[in-house]
Amino acid sequence: MNKKRLIEIWVGVFMALGLVALFFLAMRVSNLGTAYTGETFDVDARFDNIGGLKVKAPVTIAGVEVGRVTGIRYDAEDFRAVVEMGIQSQYRDRIPDDSFAKILTAGLLGEQYIGLDPGGSEDMLADGSEIGVTQSALVLEEVVGQFIFGKGQEGM
Amino acid sequence: MTGLLAQLGSWGIETLTRLGRAHLLLLPMMRGFLDILRRPRLLLDQLFSVGVLTILIISVAGLFVGMVLGLQGFYILSRFGGETALGLMVAASLVRELGPVLTALLFAGRAGSALTAEIGLMKATEQLSGLEMMAVNPEHRVLAPRFFAGFISVPLLAAIFSMLGVLGGWMVGGGMLSVDQGAFWNGMQNGIDFHDDIINGVIKSVVFGFVCTWIAIFQGYDCVPTSEGVSRATTRTVVHSSLAVLGLDFVLTALMFS
Amino acid sequence: MKQPESKQQSTPLVRIRGLRFRRGSRWIFDGLDVDIPLGRVTAIMGPSGTGKTTLLKLIGGQLRPDEGTIEVDGENVHALSTPELYRLRMRMGMLFQSGALLTDISVFENVAFPLREHTRLTESMLRKLVLLKLEAVGLRGARDLMPSELSGGMARRVALARAIALDPMMIMYDEPFTGQDPISMGVLVQLIRRLNDAARITSIVVSHDVAETLEIADQVYVISNGKVVESGSPAQLQESGGEWTRQFIQGLPDGPVPFHYPGPGLQEDLLEKSL
Repeated sequence: MNKKRLIEIWVGVFMALGLVALFFLAMRVSNLGTAYTGETFDVDARFDNIGGLKVKAPVTIAGVEVGRVTGIRYDAEDFRAVVEMGIQSQYRDRIPDDSFAKILTAGLLGEQYIGLDPGGSEDMLADGSEIGVTQSALVLEEVVGQFIFGKGQEGM
Repeated sequence: MTGLLAQLGSWGIETLTRLGRAHLLLLPMMRGFLDILRRPRLLLDQLFSVGVLTILIISVAGLFVGMVLGLQGFYILSRFGGETALGLMVAASLVRELGPVLTALLFAGRAGSALTAEIGLMKATEQLSGLEMMAVNPEHRVLAPRFFAGFISVPLLAAIFSMLGVLGGWMVGGGMLSVDQGAFWNGMQNGIDFHDDIINGVIKSVVFGFVCTWIAIFQGYDCVPTSEGVSRATTRTVVHSSLAVLGLDFVLTALMFS
Repeated sequence: MKQPESKQQSTPLVRIRGLRFRRGSRWIFDGLDVDIPLGRVTAIMGPSGTGKTTLLKLIGGQLRPDEGTIEVDGENVHALSTPELYRLRMRMGMLFQSGALLTDISVFENVAFPLREHTRLTESMLRKLVLLKLEAVGLRGARDLMPSELSGGMARRVALARAIALDPMMIMYDEPFTGQDPISMGVLVQLIRRLNDAARITSIVVSHDVAETLEIADQVYVISNGKVVESGSPAQLQESGGEWTRQFIQGLPDGPVPFHYPGPGLQEDLLEKSL
């Protein structure tokens, strides 16, 4: 095998190795491998306080991811935060429209996400519908504040 | 006193002239891309000497850096009971920072200095002049293939570095320190975002590749054509490349991860 | 492969008029007028450092003069566009002092280089041409060696073969005899003369080796301090030449170019030290 051929082979190996590495990083290291890439339908929910919720945070039912937060905005008329969610199409018309949306924290100090508690209604959530009942995020400072003042009240 | 000021002034002018020459070199080098399309062999040979021959040091370095991250990360995280975050920590450090930066620094030291020496020697032995007199444009024929080879190689090398680093951290975490496998990979996958982390890391390494290769080629092309001149140019390549990479890293990190 | 015939037959191939060139604060050439006649060997001589190599680079368009013009075959070299300059360079061959061979390819590949770059010959035709060029310089058997395996003289001969690869109309020789053993020198002298006579290639030889150069030159220009000091045939120079020329040609240690580097007188210097 002459020198030219050898060089070509080695460069090929190099390129392949580099591409494999990039693929590995994309699929196994980042969230691309586990990301849902299919069709979604839109559902909104309004909260008094979204706490530390970020776009791309997961939306779960019974702990299983069924969608992601796609947008967060403030409604100046309503004085509340509007959270837009993209739910996987397979759950279209399968989630009761009186379900309860809560903002939860993963672990004690983890990232925040939305958990849905299914209700009992016979009507289901469709594209563009809104979840009526929501519970805002637990803001740590408020809880501590409540605790302190609560204790204070008791003491008086 | 005035002597000192005069020296400072002339150094300033000298530096600016250099910077100007370096930029003037960019356009002819880029135009050489057409030559490369007509003769891909040129690029191939350079990819071998610049890329393939750097794989070894990058791989070994990546593996060891990842293993050290695994060890150190574990000791620190275990103080807060956060061992399960080890995967995320190792991957984030590598993909965002250590991968691109260390790869660029090692590249400048190994391949950059070699490029400078090679081109400087060609200048000193009048090979570049000879090419010109044979109506062959040395910027297209000699410099451009080396430039594009470096530009392509560095991001690939950085990816290899990061991959081996993550695997190294996994070996140490899972093998030596008994960190839970599932927690290691899941924590990592949940925390590392493809767009914010991986793509940004790749962008960084592309920028670093551009700058390091450019500096290496320019120093060789511009050096004083004596053996002392070549050796000084080689040193300058390594020093300037390193400073440029670290400085750009700060700027890019501030832009990307703020 | 025939090059098109040069345009003018009676006028000189290279005309340099009023050339002024400066490096830093020093004027290397200060009003130089030179005519290189077609089909003859012209020598340009002078002490080291008079910028003889610089002159060749100016003719080849690698350097720009501060003033004056250089015309090669009727074309003003520095008024040409880059593609035109490159076309002109294909008709000029240059032999560098060190040979300037590409060190990463073999002798054969070095000679083939200009052919591969500028022609579309088939591989078999190219091979025959390269072998013929190597045969002309006597190195056909060395075709598979690498430049690092060649002696200085052999490297120069290979570079010569490469310079004639495209059958140029002129060749410029930059100090071809410097540092050569007598045999290589003899070979080179013969080659230059033969190429000039057989192929009607105009030759410009830049050198300070008096004996060898005068042996083959048809016309000589002696340059000092950026100007032409003397010109004529070798015979003319040896007979009538001015004082400076005579010192140069006969190699006298003292004359218009002094032996002692300018400085204070000897007595002064010695007395100072003994204080």
